[in-house]
Amino acid sequence: MTYTIEHAEPFLFPGDKTGCLLVHGFTGALNEMRPLGEHLASQGYTALGVRLSGHGTHMQDLIRTRKQDWIADVEDGYHILRGMCDRVFLLGLSLGGVLILHASSYLPVTGLVAMSAPYTTPEKRLDTLRPILPLLSKVWRYRPQSKPGLPGKSGKLLYYPAQPIRSLAEADDMIDLMQIALPEVTAPALIIHSHSDTVFPIKSATCIYDAISSEDKDIHLLEKNEHVVTRGEGCEIVFKACEQFIKRVLETSR
Amino acid sequence: MTRTVQGGEPFFMQGNATGCLLIHGFTGAPNEMRLLGEHLAACGFSVLGIRLAGHGTSMEDLIRTREQDWIASVEDGFQLLQACCDHVIALGLSMGGVLTLHAAANLPVTGAIAMSAPYLVPHPFIATLRPILPLVSRLWPYHTKRHPGLEKVESQHEHVEYEAYPYRAVAELEDLIRLMKADLSAIRIPVLLMHSRADETVPEAHAERLLASLGTEDKHLLWLEESGHVITHDVEQDIVFDAAVKFIRRVTEEN
Repeated sequence: MTYTIEHAEPFLFPGDKTGCLLVHGFTGALNEMRPLGEHLASQGYTALGVRLSGHGTHMQDLIRTRKQDWIADVEDGYHILRGMCDRVFLLGLSLGGVLILHASSYLPVTGLVAMSAPYTTPEKRLDTLRPILPLLSKVWRYRPQSKPGLPGKSGKLLYYPAQPIRSLAEADDMIDLMQIALPEVTAPALIIHSHSDTVFPIKSATCIYDAISSEDKDIHLLEKNEHVVTRGEGCEIVFKACEQFIKRVLETSR
Repeated sequence: MTRTVQGGEPFFMQGNATGCLLIHGFTGAPNEMRLLGEHLAACGFSVLGIRLAGHGTSMEDLIRTREQDWIASVEDGFQLLQACCDHVIALGLSMGGVLTLHAAANLPVTGAIAMSAPYLVPHPFIATLRPILPLVSRLWPYHTKRHPGLEKVESQHEHVEYEAYPYRAVAELEDLIRLMKADLSAIRIPVLLMHSRADETVPEAHAERLLASLGTEDKHLLWLEESGHVITHDVEQDIVFDAAVKFIRRVTEEN
């Protein structure tokens, strides 16, 4: 019996000297990134999916988790991957996108792909309550999971049944940290976002695109994908876009 | 600026199909396992030195950390190593040794090496105080370290660790050791214990009690004479490295 729940474990597909670090989203689990990891591995790359602290185990663990733990998780994955690879690409979904954008501002990465990432806190209400949220979260502990997180069209995704309020405060802080860091991002970047994303508006993608300093940057807008663009309808388009982006960056950097 | 401090980063060295999972100790960092890792890598093995949750960053992070986070950290490392190896050997120092023995009972590892591992929290009152420790820790958060843990002076400078023990985390360590103890008799894989008679942090009697409690028939205890607690980074480190390599070769060839 393991403490980590099945299919939420980190994964590693050893390949060539180009490493892809995959980071999942808030209250999600690694199986939302695994098919993308498998696709990149089939192209010959090394793919590593990290499990974020407080995820893939028990919701109570998430409540104790702070943004600095997630930042350290991404650094861990980067260091492990660097042990096998000469170059590292960061790919993240939603909060994972926030984390990899933040990490790209200070880690020497070859390129990055941010998918369905927010630019600002989607809810002003939480922002206003932020100073008292840690206290408030002792009584108002959870709120329902946002719709696309539920298993359904996107296939069997592992999600915590609710979103801990205390952790939402950390996610919000993380978005703020990312915003400040965006001008420091200079590596080639691909921003992917779907018009059908009901969690974060499509304009997040353009805001992030405008804020980063990368000379080589591209934006790929999707039509039908849900928030978890790496699973369900249209996910092959995302896989292809990531694959082509990595291939192109590798060719131009040679 | 990275969140992890220098020496606090995990490390990975790709080698053959035998993977060595290196687990550092309480308030320590991956750095204390690095020399051993480099030696094992030079012998051809694949090596992953993990960073335990709450370690290698800031002491405040450790206060929020619970035993299950450390267990999950080990499981994460095991998963990654298993992806590129046929056999995984767990090697841990001190609390890393406790986690190693816990893994020996709960994960499909081929062998386990526990170094300087405690049989109980080496402080007389901790077990008794356990129920009120979380409360006490709000008033007295930290316990200052007394022993340097290392006899070798050069290693003392290179050593990366927190300067004190957070009481809240000591409570978790106590719980973790209790979990491990319940599992010892269920261990069926080869186990090697290493301990120094000069260890001031965890007295030698702990190693004897661990040895007696292990359920496996393939169990050995190697004594060191002059090292401090951190035997992977001290005057007899070469003895430790050689014993580890011999053990790993033996158990992986038998399988």
